[in-house]
Amino acid sequence: MPSQNGASFTRRGFFGVAGGVSVAAILAACSPSGAGGGGGGGSSKPLKFWNMPWGGTKFNPTDKKITLAYKPKSGLPAATYQEIQWANFTQTFSSAIASNTGPAVSSGGGTQAFQFAAQGKIAYADHLIKSWESNGLKDDFLDGLLDTMKTDKGYAAVPYNLDVRVAWYNKALMQQAGADVPTTWDEYKAVCAKLKKIGVYGFGLGSGAGSFTGSHIMTAFMINNGGGLFNKKQEPDAVTDENIEAIEFILELVKNGYSDPAAATYTSDNVQAQWKAKRFGYGWDGAGLPAGAVGDVASDLVVADPLTSPSGKKGGLYFPNNIMMYTNTPSQEGSEAFVTYYYKNMKELWTENTGIGLPPLKSIADTDEFKSNANNVKILNDWNPIFKTWAAPGGNGLFANIANTVDGTQPMLNFTQAILGGKTDAKSALTTLQSGIEGLMK
Amino acid sequence: MSTETITRGIGRARRGVGNGGAGRPVQFKPSNSNRMPGHRSRSTTLLLFALPSLILLVLLNVYPVGYAGVQSARNGDLLSAGDFVGGQNYLTVLQQPVFWHAALFTLIFTLVGVFGSWAIGLALALLLRTRIPANGLFRVLLLLPWVVPIVVSATAWNWLVATPQSPLPVIANFFGLGNPLFLADPTLAQILVCVYKVWISFPFMMMMMTSALASVDTNVYEASKVDGAGPWQTFRLITLPMISRTTYISWILMTIFCVNDFPTIFLLTGGGPVQSTQTLVVMAYVTVFQNYQTGPGVAIAFLMTLVLVIISVVLYRQIRKVNIE
Repeated sequence: MPSQNGASFTRRGFFGVAGGVSVAAILAACSPSGAGGGGGGGSSKPLKFWNMPWGGTKFNPTDKKITLAYKPKSGLPAATYQEIQWANFTQTFSSAIASNTGPAVSSGGGTQAFQFAAQGKIAYADHLIKSWESNGLKDDFLDGLLDTMKTDKGYAAVPYNLDVRVAWYNKALMQQAGADVPTTWDEYKAVCAKLKKIGVYGFGLGSGAGSFTGSHIMTAFMINNGGGLFNKKQEPDAVTDENIEAIEFILELVKNGYSDPAAATYTSDNVQAQWKAKRFGYGWDGAGLPAGAVGDVASDLVVADPLTSPSGKKGGLYFPNNIMMYTNTPSQEGSEAFVTYYYKNMKELWTENTGIGLPPLKSIADTDEFKSNANNVKILNDWNPIFKTWAAPGGNGLFANIANTVDGTQPMLNFTQAILGGKTDAKSALTTLQSGIEGLMK
Repeated sequence: MSTETITRGIGRARRGVGNGGAGRPVQFKPSNSNRMPGHRSRSTTLLLFALPSLILLVLLNVYPVGYAGVQSARNGDLLSAGDFVGGQNYLTVLQQPVFWHAALFTLIFTLVGVFGSWAIGLALALLLRTRIPANGLFRVLLLLPWVVPIVVSATAWNWLVATPQSPLPVIANFFGLGNPLFLADPTLAQILVCVYKVWISFPFMMMMMTSALASVDTNVYEASKVDGAGPWQTFRLITLPMISRTTYISWILMTIFCVNDFPTIFLLTGGGPVQSTQTLVVMAYVTVFQNYQTGPGVAIAFLMTLVLVIISVVLYRQIRKVNIE
């Protein structure tokens, strides 16, 4: 057998190797990687679970511990855990799903499941939820919550935690201003006037870079007045009498000087800084406001009562964040088994105060640890029954177009910044919003 | 001595030419008759050696750009390619007033960014060329805006201006300038992002100009001094022309940096209020990743690229002109 050394490595041989490597690289780059379509049976491949940082520093370690403690039945895949950062999460998921390298189960943006469902990437949860009738999990969900996940084709996801928008006040500043907690829009306006007298803003919120809370509050006021952005046909319907009245009310607050003139460009950090600096006496934010960077003011922050609008209605906006299953899974049976395990064992995420939003299950809301937070209890008791989703007033079930038309989109940000700037009128602002949303509909 | 004489003398000094003539070197042209018989075979060999790299280059650069071109002619989203719509996305984008507003602000942002940072960078480079105490320390300190990650500096600038209690509004109020809303007022927000861009970019220009100034032969300055040139004449007729090549290159680079600058604006204002500080690159991002309109978003990116190529070609021609002179 002839020996081969460097000298006998010919030019032809070199080109052969180089060409082979190049072709291999091309094939590797072009071929789809990761798991293929999921089957119904077992698989040796692990099941990928991707979750977001829903709370503080304790959240993901606790969540990972719960995930890795999963012991699947024989033949079903074990679960791996991956934390996905919120920064550019849309791109992270989209590119992974498109290249079939994504998770089998994940959380994510509140409307993400509906978008992916429209692309045929979601495994509907109907069979899973049906299986939960026997073990009591289905009845454990807060009333009406599962319905928000229902589409024409089935349940796109399972509710996981509730991100809510509620009214907060600083009890010390309210006391200093001699104001009582308002229950109607008129009372609220009077409270704002009293707070203004002590140099404090009563309509505290922000709509700056990366902050969508302002647009949520605009929508919440429309819903509060019986309005909203979509009709029963899931078409945009922003220019309604209810919405015009709601936005006129907000414009009145802005023009009366009850809103911080720089609020249109406040980031979440800026908003928290204003609460901390005692410049906000009453405002609108998520359930986690006291856990933010508000300093000593945290203990003075109290969830206010829902307001009754001139139409006599109450209402607010919430985002039922969810867990979704994908068609790209090593085993659909494995995905469902894991999600069932997860929901039976996720209580710790709330009882350990990891900072996650409100729980979707009554059994968790009934724990002593959860009840020890009076603000959370008030939100569940007083606000949760009146919350609606982006789909209001036409319905409550989320759908794909919400993600690309109103959830953090440019027309919503423009609308909010224009209203907080105070240099527009309600009807023309809503008309511009309507055409902006229509332009993004698919 | 007349001004004309000085200018002529300075011109000669700048080109390194004596009174005798142009002194251009004679270019050596290789003769075709010198070609070896194996020349063709050698070229093929070299081409084959380069082939793996060329394939990778195509995969890493040409393929994504080509794919993006296809996306710009389709009505898809982040997950699906969608249907072919030809040039409809380009037409849609070009018919939007917001696109032209973004294009105009991109132009303003770029002009201020390029020439503002160049003027300050050149001034500092000239200043640091003189013998001042702690020269090295100043150089390091002046580099900080360029070195510090933009996320950090954008957060710092937000802290400086965002709320009425922030330092700059407080100072403005102290001097009787009212309560300026640096981020909430559309005009002030536009000025602020331009100033911020100049602030983070001048160290780069300072470095470029420092290296360009270092390459200028000091004999030229001495010659012009002998010819009776003053400081302004020296700067205008010697320094600027002698560093023109580096200046044009730095302008090209800074133009590309400014037009493609996403984080500066996105972190500071998000393009607001009401899109007043939105540049084309921010608009492209928002269109693709917030409004999920891949086709129009990529179309915006392509239009940006086209403009950048045109600007680069014009400036490169200017560089060639300088070389010939």
